[in-house]
Amino acid sequence: MYLYLPVALTSINLMIPVGLGLTVGLLSGLFGVGGGFLMTPLLIMLGIPPTVAAATDSNQIVAASTSGTYAHWKVGNVDFKMGMYLLAGGFIGGAIGVQAIKVLREMGDADFVIKITYVLMLGIVGAYMLIESLLSMRKKDAESPNVIKETKAGAFLRALPFQTHFAKSGVTHSAIVPVLLGMLVGVLAAIMGVGGGFLMVPIMVYMLKMPMHVVVGTSLFQILFTCIEVTMLQAYTNHNVDFILAVLLLAGSTIGAQVGAIFGRRLKGEQLKIILAVIVLAVTVKIILELTLRPSLLIVQSGGH
Amino acid sequence: MTAAATQMMNKRVLPGFLISVAFVMLLIFALGSAADAQLTAQVDNAHVKMGFFYHGSSIEVSGFSDKDADIIVKISSPDETSTFGKKGRRAGLIWMNSGELKFENAPQLYHLYSTRGVESILQEPDLDSNVIGYGALSRRIRILPAADQAEKTQWVSEFFRFKQSSNLYITSAGSISKKMSGTGQEYFLKIPWPYQALPGDYTVTVFSVQDKKIIEKAEAEIRVEHAGLVSGLSTMAKEQGALYGIISVIVALAAGFGTGMIFKKGGGAH
Repeated sequence: MYLYLPVALTSINLMIPVGLGLTVGLLSGLFGVGGGFLMTPLLIMLGIPPTVAAATDSNQIVAASTSGTYAHWKVGNVDFKMGMYLLAGGFIGGAIGVQAIKVLREMGDADFVIKITYVLMLGIVGAYMLIESLLSMRKKDAESPNVIKETKAGAFLRALPFQTHFAKSGVTHSAIVPVLLGMLVGVLAAIMGVGGGFLMVPIMVYMLKMPMHVVVGTSLFQILFTCIEVTMLQAYTNHNVDFILAVLLLAGSTIGAQVGAIFGRRLKGEQLKIILAVIVLAVTVKIILELTLRPSLLIVQSGGH
Repeated sequence: MTAAATQMMNKRVLPGFLISVAFVMLLIFALGSAADAQLTAQVDNAHVKMGFFYHGSSIEVSGFSDKDADIIVKISSPDETSTFGKKGRRAGLIWMNSGELKFENAPQLYHLYSTRGVESILQEPDLDSNVIGYGALSRRIRILPAADQAEKTQWVSEFFRFKQSSNLYITSAGSISKKMSGTGQEYFLKIPWPYQALPGDYTVTVFSVQDKKIIEKAEAEIRVEHAGLVSGLSTMAKEQGALYGIISVIVALAAGFGTGMIFKKGGGAH
């Protein structure tokens, strides 16, 4: 059965967005990412204009991340305090990033530099996660005592003011650390036009030393607010949110997020990290191919990135 | 003159005046059609309503023409300017957006159906002045910026491929059927109307061609409109962005929580 989308101005078989939502929601519930990296390009392939695809996806993520946060919260895997600090940083970072884009664009080759930086960063984060989690799995097999090494960076972080304890995550940090990291992701997300889940999750795992299961729930909690803001801005300023398409997508993604959360509980933190690392690396390869292979059409509808 | 006419139009004079005007118009019309041959153009399903389940439509164009004439049916929206991002290679390796291209004088939709290939039945000046065929269209479209003819040719062909991929541009020879009817002939064309065509008014122009000349033209209109829920939502998205955004977010939140509740009941064994 086909439905006509009033803002995207195209017709779509209703099973396609529902199925797509289910898949992306699953990833979201499992790994705490929004899934825009997968959803937006697929929607464009289906004939949805790029700007409508991105805006509608953010509306859909509001639903998927609500569903996912709720599922993770029920089993106590959301660190609301940490989430709020990251969020505060993210909002400031987003505002800075939007201004930074303008400056970069005026400087000329910004798009080129941004794309290359993004690919490098994804590649490095993915490879690091994969190697680290494989190594730590092997260590556990050998049952070596888990000694926490005191590094210089660790000592520096501990010396910062406003030290506060995050009970859910079981870590103590200066309040400055999550706010600054949130800002960093916010700036990058705004510049690159991506949600930032791929960067936020590794940052929480490796820099904030949070347990993987809490990371997923907290990341979703944070994404929820970011996407509410983006949806409102898109609907108000650009009129780009397609309500019908969003409803079809979220019909799948809210269920997918629940299934992902249940499935994720059965997996160990290390296993989750390995799968996520593989996905991040696959996305890196996909972007590299996109950048180097000749596109089938050399013109694109304006407004996309 | 107008003032005098208005003054005349009191209740007593008006009926007689209208009747005489109608009579004169009929006379002109009858004389005109007697002098010309008999090309007609009729469009069935000319009012396309895009409702909730819309997935394109189907349109029939038919009419009468001179015996043995070739028929060309052109369906087109008004000329417009559209902007595209253009992909280019950077550092000899990476494909990226490299600036914008403006296409001027290019309709959003252009369909051309004919009994035979248009270039074999008409000459270039006629094709160009009536914008018949991709050749004429590409000579009409202006591209900014395009350094030289070679570059223009390349971008025009990319533009045509883009339009063809969503059925907005179609050319097809041999798709019109003809059959003898009295002293003339009947022609008939049935085409699928693409769902990608935007709401608006489209002009159907029928040309009757003989001996490499256009003998007659006839015109009809197709109107495409949003209807029902589609119309309501698209208007609201444009005119009440804030409310539309709030509703979208609330529905998403409700759906997220709702699904969470359902799973809580269903998965209570945890």
